Amino acid sequence: MHDPVADLITKCAASDRAAFRMLYRDTSAKLMGVLLRMLGERAEAEDALQEVYTRVWLRAGRYDPAKGRGMTWMIAIARNLAIDRLRARPESHGDDDMDQVADTAPRAETRLVAQGEARRMADCFATLEPDRAAAVRGAYLNGMSYIELADRHSVPLNTMRTWLRRSLLRLKECLEA
Amino acid sequence: MTDAPLTPQEEDDALAAEYVLGVLDLGERARAEARIKRDPGFATLVAEWEVRMAGLNEGYAEAPAPNLLPAIEARLFPSAPPARAKRRFAPGFGWLSGAAIAAVLTLVTFATLAPPEPDRLAVLATADNRLSYEVTHFGQVLRVTRVAGVPAVEGQVHELWVIAPGAAPVSLGLLESRPLVVEYPAPPAGWVFAVSIEPEGGSPTGQPTGPVILTAEVGTDA
Repeated sequence: MHDPVADLITKCAASDRAAFRMLYRDTSAKLMGVLLRMLGERAEAEDALQEVYTRVWLRAGRYDPAKGRGMTWMIAIARNLAIDRLRARPESHGDDDMDQVADTAPRAETRLVAQGEARRMADCFATLEPDRAAAVRGAYLNGMSYIELADRHSVPLNTMRTWLRRSLLRLKECLEA
Repeated sequence: MTDAPLTPQEEDDALAAEYVLGVLDLGERARAEARIKRDPGFATLVAEWEVRMAGLNEGYAEAPAPNLLPAIEARLFPSAPPARAKRRFAPGFGWLSGAAIAAVLTLVTFATLAPPEPDRLAVLATADNRLSYEVTHFGQVLRVTRVAGVPAVEGQVHELWVIAPGAAPVSLGLLESRPLVVEYPAPPAGWVFAVSIEPEGGSPTGQPTGPVILTAEVGTDA
């Protein structure tokens, strides 16, 4: 499948600065969406965006198009940075995050139905208990920690961990069936 | 799926999934990252989960981003060597031997400017993650930032060491309130960073004298 983002990353690995500019032009809105959603604050998201593109340039040589799409790789870099920042916050859980999840989860689910890959994902999510599916989605999209998830679902942390791990392995089973 | 305990393979796979999901706390996350660097099998599990979960990325709406390219390019492609902040010889290094002073002190720079965004080399964290330093590298500069915890108590200081395989520790400097920035090549895999507690001003002997509280090995993928 043609992957223009992957092509640009590969060119970045060869120090092609023009490709880097095109990569920014074509992907920054999506990555900004990721960072804004996870970090919740525009100034911090913009600062993180600079770091993400810096890492993308520096790590471009490690990207392997055979292992995944370019956008998937870039989003992973953005998410990892956002999660590191969230976990480094002194008190990283609060009611705001929980409201946000409640608010956005159904929309996320609707969007999921849009495409083939996402459709398959949505089908597999549907095999999980609704609150566990919501926990997985909330963790992924909003960067919630186990502590936050346990708070939100009013279960002990260990229970949440057991739930989530089982759900993830079931999800894998379903996606690979 | 039953409620039987997870097999070791399932445990690894679940940990990779938890890492990708982002639910781990900072200490668990740092340990998972260290493992990604030294364990290719685990790294593959993580990469597979990233692809597996990519269907959820549709859930991120796009948001217009300002043009930050000039700032990013200024970091990545400085037209001149990076501006160096005032270089000063910090107090407390008098205990170093002459050779060590030549090797280390001339390389030590306490920068007041943030250096370009670097690659993470190692995370030094306690098991409970109350204290955590991140070691990053960019160009010829190592930067060590405390991401959790507080400096040593009054009268003591955290000192950073780098240890080549089979060699004695070499001090890279003292970890005080601001990030430590040192000109130093990226240590290859197998080298170890360590933090010890030393009297104010640093180790009086040139070798760690207090307890070593944190260590981290540079990963193979760094």
